[in-house]
Amino acid sequence: MPTRDLTIAMVGSGGDGIITMGDMLAQAGAAVGLHVMKVEAYGPQIRGGESSCTVRISADPIFAQGDQVQVLVVFNWADFAQFRSEIVTALDAVVLYEATDETPRESIDLGSIESVRWVPVPFIELAKTSAGTTLAKNIVTLGILGELFNLPKEPVERAIRGKFTKKKAEVLEANLKGYVAGIEYAKTIEEHASGKRLQYTPGEPMLLMSGNELSAVAALHAGCRFFAGYPITPSSEVLHFLSQWMPKVGGYLVQTEDELAAIGAVIGGSFAGVKSMTATSGPGLALMTEMLGLAAMAEVPAVIIDVQRGGPSTGLPTKSEQSDLWQALWGSHGDAPRVVLAPADVEDCFHATVAAFNIAEEAQMPVIVLSDQFIAQRRETLSMLTLDHEVVGRQVPSAGDLREYKRYKDTRSGISPMSWPGMKGGEYQTNGLEHGEDGTPSSMHILHEKMNAKRYRKLRLVRDKYSFYRRYGTERADVGIICWGSSKGPVKEAVMRANGRGEKVSAFVPQLLYPFPYHEFTEYLKTVDNVIVMELSYSAQFYKYLRTFLDLPEARTFVFKRSGGRNLTVGEVEDKIRKVLDMSALRGEVLV
Amino acid sequence: MSASTRVEIKPGAYKSDLKPVWCPGCGDFGVLNALYRAMANLQIEPWNTVILSGIGCSSRLPGYVHTYGFNGVHGRALTLATGVKMARPELTVIAVGGDGDGLAIGGNHLIHACRRNLDVTYILMDNEIYGLTKGQVAPTTPTGDKTKSTYWGNPEPAVDPCELAISTGATWVGRGFSGDMKGLTELITGAIDHSGFSFLNCMSPCVTWRGDDEFKRLKAMQKPLPEDHDPSRRANAIAYTREKDVLTTGVLYKVEAPTMVDRVEAIKQQAMGGKPAPSTKEILSTFYPKF
Ligand SMILES: Cc1ncc(C[n+]2csc(CCOP(=O)(O)OP(=O)(O)O)c2C)c(N)n1
Ligand code: SF4
Repeated sequence: MPTRDLTIAMVGSGGDGIITMGDMLAQAGAAVGLHVMKVEAYGPQIRGGESSCTVRISADPIFAQGDQVQVLVVFNWADFAQFRSEIVTALDAVVLYEATDETPRESIDLGSIESVRWVPVPFIELAKTSAGTTLAKNIVTLGILGELFNLPKEPVERAIRGKFTKKKAEVLEANLKGYVAGIEYAKTIEEHASGKRLQYTPGEPMLLMSGNELSAVAALHAGCRFFAGYPITPSSEVLHFLSQWMPKVGGYLVQTEDELAAIGAVIGGSFAGVKSMTATSGPGLALMTEMLGLAAMAEVPAVIIDVQRGGPSTGLPTKSEQSDLWQALWGSHGDAPRVVLAPADVEDCFHATVAAFNIAEEAQMPVIVLSDQFIAQRRETLSMLTLDHEVVGRQVPSAGDLREYKRYKDTRSGISPMSWPGMKGGEYQTNGLEHGEDGTPSSMHILHEKMNAKRYRKLRLVRDKYSFYRRYGTERADVGIICWGSSKGPVKEAVMRANGRGEKVSAFVPQLLYPFPYHEFTEYLKTVDNVIVMELSYSAQFYKYLRTFLDLPEARTFVFKRSGGRNLTVGEVEDKIRKVLDMSALRGEVLV
Repeated sequence: MSASTRVEIKPGAYKSDLKPVWCPGCGDFGVLNALYRAMANLQIEPWNTVILSGIGCSSRLPGYVHTYGFNGVHGRALTLATGVKMARPELTVIAVGGDGDGLAIGGNHLIHACRRNLDVTYILMDNEIYGLTKGQVAPTTPTGDKTKSTYWGNPEPAVDPCELAISTGATWVGRGFSGDMKGLTELITGAIDHSGFSFLNCMSPCVTWRGDDEFKRLKAMQKPLPEDHDPSRRANAIAYTREKDVLTTGVLYKVEAPTMVDRVEAIKQQAMGGKPAPSTKEILSTFYPKF
């Protein structure tokens, strides 16, 4: 019986071409309209060292990474040992491994691998005899995988041609030979692939993008023409992409000396009338905190993308976590309003980033887009059709306003028309100091109260105008899951599976985190009996955040939280759903 | 706009309605007045000018000038200025602040603004003390001086701001004295007129925390650069700024070099190649499988 959904993991050393192999597979899938999600993982070494790549390919839409792999390629068991807690093989998975590995698999603790189909393959030998070089090992493997599991072989061949055309003709020739040798070899072991051959109907090509790339494109779409940033994993791809494209659209980019300078430059650029953005991760956001307050006080639009990683401090730079939440929400001295948005998947990075610009311009305050490593760095297939979003600009003073211009005019909405340099009559002086309507500094407490109220009033407009959330599952549910950010993927998949079994389960995923979408939450809570809050934060930041605004159902609310470092899995979510459905005895306890 | 149709802007026109909060006799008044005159000399349009600052007594200055102004946070004036200049290269951008602001908490930004040759004028009001926070030691305070935070005397050597700026890449470096209106006006005029990063270290006495005699002391020390000083020679400039027991004033260093904006503008031209900016769809299309 064929399958419509296959997850393939590949593990090897730096020189094994694992990443190239994963890339070609993913691109080939995208080329024939399959749904693809690709996740890479590395050891701590800057170069070389072990690496792994997991590619999930499916004929149907997918939302998560794939908890378990059906196909595992291991060039080197010693390298695999580094990933054994991250790569879990499915029952009856096909494990293709180097037949001549000097570290035999029996000699290392493989953790959870059991009941699989062991298939030793002479990858090195095949590469040497067919292509004349062990370097072609990954290309040979692509041939084997393509033939065994019915992956799109012709696009893979095109990918190989594409990759090696710039090299010498012999190199291309050798690799093509390796590819064919792989295909031929696969025919001798095809009995191992039964039940794992992918069945699909080819369709139109899809885009293959990461969340970071999409955030960067979204910024350009929104009209951002100035970017200032400082490199930090896992956000740097935003900087990299824009360093190429920002000048192409006529904008400027600067890699600043630190994150203090990055946010300062963004505030300066935006004050000067140009939509401006920075991107960082937790440690960088910490440095920017003082000037988030400045943007709030001076009412300057600013867009900050925070791609979360494991923390605190340097933490787990290459792994995801949802523990910058409080920093983004409350990181401030004084009462400093800001908006916090959380994309829940790769495509959301587009919409959330454009929305961030719209809100920043409209409400004249900092807007933080709280992304995370899992959606920011994984690549997945997307349709061009859904990647569009309305763009709005800043409210500028009318000729009448400019006659006696008050930059911080106390209006009903709290929003005052904002001039920019070059507008004659719009000159004003802005301030991190508390100030009156014309910008004059003042320490009068009555004025401070009034201006705080004005600045916070703007959040009302944001809350009422922008309603971003996702809801999945049955209309009424025995179990409702509340989660945010990248946890959405596994949660959605688990909810759909549960619904498929006839269980009444739903999920609510707010994408506007602050101002708090009170109305949407209370409406949702009316539709569920039990609630599970799920998040990757050891101290349960999200749960505690919800509790500051909401009365969660007493004795019917459960919390599943853990540290990041490993993405939430569909299995974990299903397990908790099961427990809450089954065991009323667990009421009120924190699940672990 | 041709010059003949313009109404001449007088120094007084740059004055804002705000009354300075500075102590009577503060050196910063001299800097402010020289700035009004320099702006009038250059007939700078207030609406096309942005003055940015950090925090400190001196950083209050933008409020007293009728232009676009931004009194930011401590040490970050140049970061804001970087954004304004890069976003809107056509604007006149001036950053101001104190020696604590620019050399202690903001020292890193100064180095990088110099290195980039960012086309901004930076006027540092050097009073050798922290004024606003009431008299603590600054990176410019002479060794041995007793301040509120150096009860036994300052154990640290002072930094020479001009030498720092010259050695890190500023293309215009001058030193002035707020007690010398004529000389300072000329210096500020030259600094704003310069294309590239112009750094003006202006001795601006804090009468409250360094005593009433500061003006007298500095006046006695002031020694304008000789007429034949060649400001394009770095070694000369550094030799003058290192002179002991005198306050050498004038344009120490001045060279022409491509500015930050020149360089990124050239990149932009290269990247665009005379073509219109690509649409979002065109950019997204580059993410289709590349074969
Ligand atoms: C982050 C931060 N740290 C400390 C302060 C307190 N502070 C305000 S101004 C200042 C120093 C002022 O000295 P200087 O920059 O030389 O300016 P002056 O007042 O002498 O003109 C300090 C330490 C602050 N505002 N922000
Ligand atoms: S404290 Fe010193 S620097 Fe500050 S205003 Fe008074 S005299 Fe000027």
